[in-house]
Amino acid sequence: MAFINYATREIQLKIVYYGCGLCGKTTNLQVIHELLGDDSKGKLTSLATNQDRTLFFDFMPLAAEAIKGFTTKFQMYTVPGQVMYNLTRRLVLKGVDGIVFVADSQWEKMEENVESFNNLAENLSLQGDSVDKTPYVLQYNKQDLPDVAPVNFLEFLLNNRGVRHPSIASSAKTGQGVLETLNLIARLVLNNFVRTQTGKSAAEQRELVLM
Amino acid sequence: MAFSLVQADVEKLDYILRELLIQSESNGCLVCDYSGYVLAQQGVEDQQDPLLISALGAGVFSASRELARLLGEEKFSAVFHQGERKSIFICAVNLDVLLVVIFTNDASVGLVKLYAGPATAAMREVLEEVRLREETVPVPEHTFVLMEEAGGVFSSKP
Repeated sequence: MAFINYATREIQLKIVYYGCGLCGKTTNLQVIHELLGDDSKGKLTSLATNQDRTLFFDFMPLAAEAIKGFTTKFQMYTVPGQVMYNLTRRLVLKGVDGIVFVADSQWEKMEENVESFNNLAENLSLQGDSVDKTPYVLQYNKQDLPDVAPVNFLEFLLNNRGVRHPSIASSAKTGQGVLETLNLIARLVLNNFVRTQTGKSAAEQRELVLM
Repeated sequence: MAFSLVQADVEKLDYILRELLIQSESNGCLVCDYSGYVLAQQGVEDQQDPLLISALGAGVFSASRELARLLGEEKFSAVFHQGERKSIFICAVNLDVLLVVIFTNDASVGLVKLYAGPATAAMREVLEEVRLREETVPVPEHTFVLMEEAGGVFSSKP
């Protein structure tokens, strides 16, 4: 759920990176933190185990001038991917405005990818949301590895709901596709925000203001 | 759906927080929602990022709430972490909003708890006004226009 502060002219939106364990969620945020300038980002905070497995969440605030007259602040979170941390994932999903579902493209990870996506759908429905009504992007990560499923297979497996969602092939370790994913989900979330606030699409709203 | 505050709401919350700071002899306090959004803050120093404090505070409080349920409690009303020099007190304002108070060990947690009660009650009134306004005012107060960015919302540093 977005938050608008008319006094400080700020809009706050929450984006969560979701996916099975070790799929690259934290790596995505680390790469984003390296790529962006200091004026766009805050500190990346990770609540992790000694083995660098996410225990609670990673958090990083981003800021952009994306909506005229307002500073848009994106709160970026990752969830712990391991199965036993489901309750924690539910806590982090509270109030989410957009999701990046990170899929591990390795063949042996397909079952976990599907389970994780179903888990996402279930957790969203438990808090009264729906995966079909929440803006999300599919990121097919680890495409740089030798034995990975092709994108069209991943599309068949994960992007098979009534409406096709945007997807990006990536290699978070090398940075490929990471910023593109971020920009895509940011744009989706912003469009959704404008539409739900004004009842019009961003393009219609822009035309209306120019008239 | 969005949760929105106007200037008058923020001024009321700021006033309540300023009074709380003085009465409880605390260093800083902020109000945030369970998603980690900062609604208002007073006295949180520049080196303490309010966004980060609210994200972590919301996480801590949400985790403690689930622990309470596991123990058969409806909820834990507050969370208190004591440090060597600074401590933090977090309590629920309502179902969606938290109050976070940061104080040095020169102040007393009892004093913070004493004045947090009336402060949260005052904040509940403000938030109830916000809720009623959002339910009864269908037209948004502002026209939101997305800016066209050729390279995307974010671009990498040069």
